Amino acid sequence: MSNLNEQMADRYKNNFLKEIEEQAEMGEWVKMCMQCGLCSGSCPTHFHSGWDHPPQEIFMLIRAGKREEVLNSQGMYMCTSCYNCYVRCPRKVPVTHVMHGIAEYAYRIGRAPKAQPTLHLSKTFWTNATKYGRVNEVQLTQSLYFKDGIGSGIKKAMEMQKEALGLVMAGRLNPMEALGMGHKCKDVSGIHKMLAKAEELEAKNKAAKADTAGKE
Amino acid sequence: MAEMKTAAYLCKGCEIDKRVNVAALAKIATKEGKMALVREHDFLCSADGVALIQNDIDNEGVTHVALGACSRRAKTEAFNFPTVALSRGNLREGVIWIRPDTPDAQETTQEMAEDYVRMMCAEVKTMQVPAGNQKTGTIKTILVVGGGVSGMTAALEASKAGYKVVLIEKAAALGGWAAKLHKRVPTREPFKSPEDNGVADMAARIDADANIKVYLNATIAKTSGSPGRFKIDIAIESGSVVTEDVGAIIQATGFTLYDANKLPHLGYGKSPNVVDQAGLEALAKEAAASGKPICRPSDGQPVKSVVFVQCAGQRDASGEHLQYCSGYCCNVSIKQATYFKDSNPDIDTVVLFTDLRTPGNGEDFYRSAQNRGVIFSKGVVSEVTANGNTCTVQFKDLILNEDTAAEADLVVLATGSVPTSGPELEALADAKRAAESGTEETKNVVLQMMDKSVLNLDYRQGPDIPHFKHGFNDSHFICFPYETRRTGIYAAGPVRRPMDILQAQEDATGAAMKAIQAVENAGLGKAAHPRAGDLSFPTARLEGCTQCKRCTVECPFGAIDEDEKRFPLFNESRCRRCGTCMGACPVRVISFENYSVNTVGMQIKAVDMPDEFSEKPRILILACENDAYPALDMAGMNRNAYDPFVRVIPVRCLGSVNTIWITDALNSGYDGVMLMGCKHGDEYQCHFVKGSELGRYRMSKVYDTLKGMNLEIDRLMDMEVAITDMDTLPGKINAYAEQIKAMGPSPFKGL
Amino acid sequence: MTSVVATNQTILVVGGGISGMTAALEAAETGKQVVLVERNPYLGGRTVQLYRYFPKMCHPTCGLEINLRRLKANPRIQVLTMAEVTGITGGKGNYSVSLKLKPRFVNENCTACGDCAQAVQTEIDDAYNYNLTKVKAAFLPSIFAYPQRYVIDPSIVGGAEGEAAKAACKYNAVDLTMKEETVTLNAGAIVWATGWKPYDAEKIVYYGYDRFPNVVTNVEFERMADPRGPTGGKILRPSDGKEAKNVAFIQCAGSRDENHLRHCSRFCCMGSLKQTHYVQEAFGDEGKSTIYYIDIRAIDRFEDFYQKVKANPNVSFVKSKVARITQDKDGNPVCNGVNTEGYLRYATAHDLVVLAVGMEPEVKGVSIPAEVMSDSSGFVMADPANAGIFGAGCATNALDVNRAVQSATAAALRAIQVVNKVARAEG
Repeated sequence: MSNLNEQMADRYKNNFLKEIEEQAEMGEWVKMCMQCGLCSGSCPTHFHSGWDHPPQEIFMLIRAGKREEVLNSQGMYMCTSCYNCYVRCPRKVPVTHVMHGIAEYAYRIGRAPKAQPTLHLSKTFWTNATKYGRVNEVQLTQSLYFKDGIGSGIKKAMEMQKEALGLVMAGRLNPMEALGMGHKCKDVSGIHKMLAKAEELEAKNKAAKADTAGKE
Repeated sequence: MAEMKTAAYLCKGCEIDKRVNVAALAKIATKEGKMALVREHDFLCSADGVALIQNDIDNEGVTHVALGACSRRAKTEAFNFPTVALSRGNLREGVIWIRPDTPDAQETTQEMAEDYVRMMCAEVKTMQVPAGNQKTGTIKTILVVGGGVSGMTAALEASKAGYKVVLIEKAAALGGWAAKLHKRVPTREPFKSPEDNGVADMAARIDADANIKVYLNATIAKTSGSPGRFKIDIAIESGSVVTEDVGAIIQATGFTLYDANKLPHLGYGKSPNVVDQAGLEALAKEAAASGKPICRPSDGQPVKSVVFVQCAGQRDASGEHLQYCSGYCCNVSIKQATYFKDSNPDIDTVVLFTDLRTPGNGEDFYRSAQNRGVIFSKGVVSEVTANGNTCTVQFKDLILNEDTAAEADLVVLATGSVPTSGPELEALADAKRAAESGTEETKNVVLQMMDKSVLNLDYRQGPDIPHFKHGFNDSHFICFPYETRRTGIYAAGPVRRPMDILQAQEDATGAAMKAIQAVENAGLGKAAHPRAGDLSFPTARLEGCTQCKRCTVECPFGAIDEDEKRFPLFNESRCRRCGTCMGACPVRVISFENYSVNTVGMQIKAVDMPDEFSEKPRILILACENDAYPALDMAGMNRNAYDPFVRVIPVRCLGSVNTIWITDALNSGYDGVMLMGCKHGDEYQCHFVKGSELGRYRMSKVYDTLKGMNLEIDRLMDMEVAITDMDTLPGKINAYAEQIKAMGPSPFKGL
Repeated sequence: MTSVVATNQTILVVGGGISGMTAALEAAETGKQVVLVERNPYLGGRTVQLYRYFPKMCHPTCGLEINLRRLKANPRIQVLTMAEVTGITGGKGNYSVSLKLKPRFVNENCTACGDCAQAVQTEIDDAYNYNLTKVKAAFLPSIFAYPQRYVIDPSIVGGAEGEAAKAACKYNAVDLTMKEETVTLNAGAIVWATGWKPYDAEKIVYYGYDRFPNVVTNVEFERMADPRGPTGGKILRPSDGKEAKNVAFIQCAGSRDENHLRHCSRFCCMGSLKQTHYVQEAFGDEGKSTIYYIDIRAIDRFEDFYQKVKANPNVSFVKSKVARITQDKDGNPVCNGVNTEGYLRYATAHDLVVLAVGMEPEVKGVSIPAEVMSDSSGFVMADPANAGIFGAGCATNALDVNRAVQSATAAALRAIQVVNKVARAEG
């Protein structure tokens, strides 16, 4: 990964925008931004300390060729996919998707920060959901609660005890999931095969893209 | 002319008869007004009432009609008698609607109505039906000066309407700036791709048009005459002069680019790789012709990166460069950016701007450029430096809030336009004064300025259309964009106002409309805007003229020249009928058939003047008919009461107010005079541009006269009134009336 | 019955706003016969609903007065109000146009004395004031209304109030038997000057125009500033009548937005800059204006006006498209967003928010005769295929008044070219 990172840095020295357009999903929309700031102002998570650069600023940084600042940014991981920016953008830029695209790209080239909570959630969720083809909510919650250690995990679990019991009583949470039981999709191996195929295709696509970009 | 037979008609409708004694008014019309015929009617504007008047005109030989009814602004369709002289006494909006319906007010209300009846009778007897200007010119050919897109459009459009056109272009070919463009900004949906500049097609259509006669390499040596009969001396290539007779003129002389040499800090002149927008068009044309990409001038290598600097030497608040925005440059830079992106998407193309201005569908074009990968950055450029074959553009990125720089093979400066509008007339007049007994140097200044003249008008007031602001041949009218201060001469395109090609074509079509209208009306002896269709015109009793030249100097439209004996020479077709000359004339020899020193003077005299013990002061209001008079009218419609001691006379413009009216009024016992006119100065609202300003200047001299008469200067009050002042005006009138009452009666009363 | 004298050398002008009036007057003053059709009961269109014009800060009614005087003096123009075009057949040089005329219930006997309004109690929404207030069901649409004739609203016709209005009129001007009419007329050329309408602010959900009383539109603000408007010219906020001394202007409310209007409406930047003057005029140094903008488009010599406003310490500029309006406990609208010049987040309470809503073609969404070609935004296009129908003013593009008049003057010539050709052909 870090090798690819260096290659890209060399290849796109003066044209980070092009790198993003080619490598990040929906990256071709970055150039369409007119810097009105509606996305930045619409974002409900703006209060979070991790929000160093909102979308409109990230887009400008990309256009200014500020590769390091963008790849070091926490901004694109903060998105909660509320789609406020997406539906309001006067240029119809799919801001949410672009931000995810940039985050995914940064992750792919090994630039994602360690212990980034959104990233952790995303990875955990993915692993969990792909295991049985359906989310195991208890295990997912557990892994999130205990990510910072046993002590804080127990504390969080106690805090949420009432809500959890309520969900169980209402039949919305199956405690047996803790043991790996609970709902699964019918053809787990089938899902695994499909996902493997999708991954293979995507890798091929990305490799092809990187290849063409390299030929200039 | 038929013998004058007067008739007064008094309407009793709208409760006029309930509020005033109409029979008494009728008596006054007969006895004091000396009307040959006096009739009362219950509902004068009804079909029956109108028929009554028409019958008297047709069968009783009535030639002069005085209507005592509603305001002259009301019921105009009904009271339309074009064959007779018509005056209107405003008994409704001017009397009963502005007076309270109380027993206390009855006496003064009646007196007010009686005075308005006296005034309408006095006025109508001094009026004549305008016969129309006999010195008309019937030439309908349109002259277009300038063969760029604006001029070519004007010529083609006028021809299409069936008019002959003479087109003069100083260069060797038609096309102007547009011909130098590689392409033009898109004009149609989807507004994505630059279009052919269209010049060749237009030039071919002009060549093929039998209505259009073209002079290339030609300039105007002299323009004389007036609408309908201009004579144009054209200096042609051979050095000789040919003369063309035309009816109206469209000045479409375009612009030059702001001199980029004045922008050394932006690298112009320091590196061949810094060009202005025209320079880039030339490079693009060259590239297109050779089939090569656009190359940088320094070494002929293809451009790999380009930076556009918007507002170069424009929007400059310091006043050193252009203060205005040229309007078109954002779209042009976008277009030029597409030249690069369309040939090679890998060329780094950056536009640095502070406000990107792409109005209307320009927004689509802006988006299309972004889609091509053009980078737009909000930034202020501080410096462009050259380093070998590249340039560094230093700028502050306003979004990222940092000082930064961009490297580029080529830098394009959007420098904007400077109108080719001829010398500024006041500066020229000053220079001429300085040169009168001055040095060679001062004389050369005049020659240099005259060299810039476009029209070389032989008008008393100078050789070109007066400038409005920043050198443009524009007016300050929002509702009437074509009103220049030279009748029958219309500016079109970027000489009038900064504009793009599409707008210039629209503008030129509009100017062609106005020019056609001018020749049609000149031929009929009718006035042009804003008194369109007015058949009256000024005449002067030259035997009384003292050759003071005030009329020739003051006419806002340059209509009056001097003849060989130095008498004023009226060019009626240039006249807009504002009456400023009449107001200016100290010996009162200028008048119109239906508006004169007499038509107003006799009204002033007709008012009944109570003695100094009556406690009934009289205040004369001379109100601009365009704004102040309607405002008073609407105060009436709102039933806003005001003082019963005022008597209102509408005037065509404050500029037409002759000081004799003021001094006569004060001499004959009026206690105060109010002048109500439009705003003047830079933000003028006067429909005759300079009328209210000149009127006010003139009135400032009357204050000396008042002092000479031992009168308080407050007996004359000059008030700026807008048409919307209907709600505040009554209060202002009342306050002035109180002031006058406190001052006590005029010492001239009863003398 | 309404009679119209028209031939194939007549020019029909559809729309009696400033563009339509200009086209009609310019053509008539060149000697052409003109029929001017207007949907409202009065002429003047949207310009007369403005308090002042930029950049001169003069009054639209001043120019209207001149235009009306030109009109009254010109026998070549026939004006039909309360009329709409329902169909066009034929072609260049020989159109047949059908019109629907709504009844005014007041005939030409009307002296505008106002007795009918005195007699009527029913009130209806006052469209002239963008429904910010009510008006009697027998009304003169505005003090500048031309024709200067009252209108009886159909809602009281057939009832006691209608009869009361009729009884109050001494001149038999109230005619409750008037019916809708259909008129067909001939025309050689048509000028389509149907103007614009303000973009529907409710559609911009995050600005809460329909939820927050203190969020108004720029056209409503014009009425609020006008002494003849619903607040008597006092700038009072709708929720509690408090003086609105701290006013926010939100640019591009609808314009430059692919979810709403794709185009830039051109006039709104200057309009808001102008409206800061209203705030200054009303409250002096206590009046504060904030303009939230993407780009200030004060084009050509309007730049002077912008620079002057910019120099006013009571006006601030924030480069930002406001993301959302909320309301605080005192009923103040709060603008939330990010100043993109340096990424500065704000949540600023104002007394009043004015949405600078954009221009969309008046006829957008309304079925217009197929002969009138329009582009994807609904603006009338100059299409050579319709060589006898010409757009004018804001029906063709988002324009300010000056440019609309320019466009209308050009349209008048295009129409004249057609009828002149007809005249030449007919000798």
